[in-house]
Amino acid sequence: MADIVVPPLGGVEEVRVVRWLREVGDEVHAGEAVAEVEAEKATFVIEAPVGGRLYAILVPEGKTAAPGDVIGKIEEASG
Amino acid sequence: MRRAVLWARLGRVPYGEALELQRYLHRLRCCGEVGDLVLSLEHDPVITLGRSADPRHVLADPLALEAAGVEVVPVERGGDVTYHGPGQLVIYPVVDLRGWGRRLRWYVWALEEVMLRVADAYGITAARVPGRPGIWVGDEKLGAVGVYVRRWVTMHGLALNVDPVPDGFRWIVPCGIHGAGATSLARLLGRPIGVREVEERAMEAFGEVFGASVARVRPEEIGAVTAG
Repeated sequence: MADIVVPPLGGVEEVRVVRWLREVGDEVHAGEAVAEVEAEKATFVIEAPVGGRLYAILVPEGKTAAPGDVIGKIEEASG
Repeated sequence: MRRAVLWARLGRVPYGEALELQRYLHRLRCCGEVGDLVLSLEHDPVITLGRSADPRHVLADPLALEAAGVEVVPVERGGDVTYHGPGQLVIYPVVDLRGWGRRLRWYVWALEEVMLRVADAYGITAARVPGRPGIWVGDEKLGAVGVYVRRWVTMHGLALNVDPVPDGFRWIVPCGIHGAGATSLARLLGRPIGVREVEERAMEAFGEVFGASVARVRPEEIGAVTAG
């Protein structure tokens, strides 16, 4: 299982998850945009760290998270 | 060493066309096929809805907007509702923020700083207001910021009201803040002012704030196909 993490964003302490671009159960590819977070009028795209299946959304749309937080999980593709 | 940034002045460009161009250049910048660059332009009248936009912040009747030839476009930048139109200077940097320390907050600050310095050059004291990105003169907004970042490469940017038609901002609740109006350099100075001269000053300020040497190029030199 791989974590989808909000990266350090340089001075930003809190972001809001504005949109999940994939649903739980969807197949995702490494580097694919999976979520968008927003801080201070900046939208930042979060990409899938690995390929696999979106297993869980831990921070839903409209909720806040901090850099370093795990906002979702990907079940890695086997083989 | 100062970073090199190419600047292309596009003139007046329909919103959709500029958006496609940005997306194209963003892709090229992400894979390193182009360097850091900045587009400056004016838009045909348009209302754009950022990712956090509340559609109720568009006040005008859709039919009235259609009749006035004003498009309403949802876009990927952060923020609420905004208006763009002739007389407003728009600057879209497509830059890799890894070259500036991956500082998202600094980047928003820097775009505001560019606008503050331009206002200051005209003797206008504008300010940042906590919790309200953009620059303000009293309760009125002089310039807006809305940014999109993927793989640390930016899109969208800033919009500074130089001398726009006042109608545009009556169609919306700027940035979703009720009671906050919009102002312009021309209104504050009490005289007409051209976007071109402000554009020059803004790019000087951009070079200072970003510690970059800005070289102006023709649009086609950045691989861009633009309206004449």
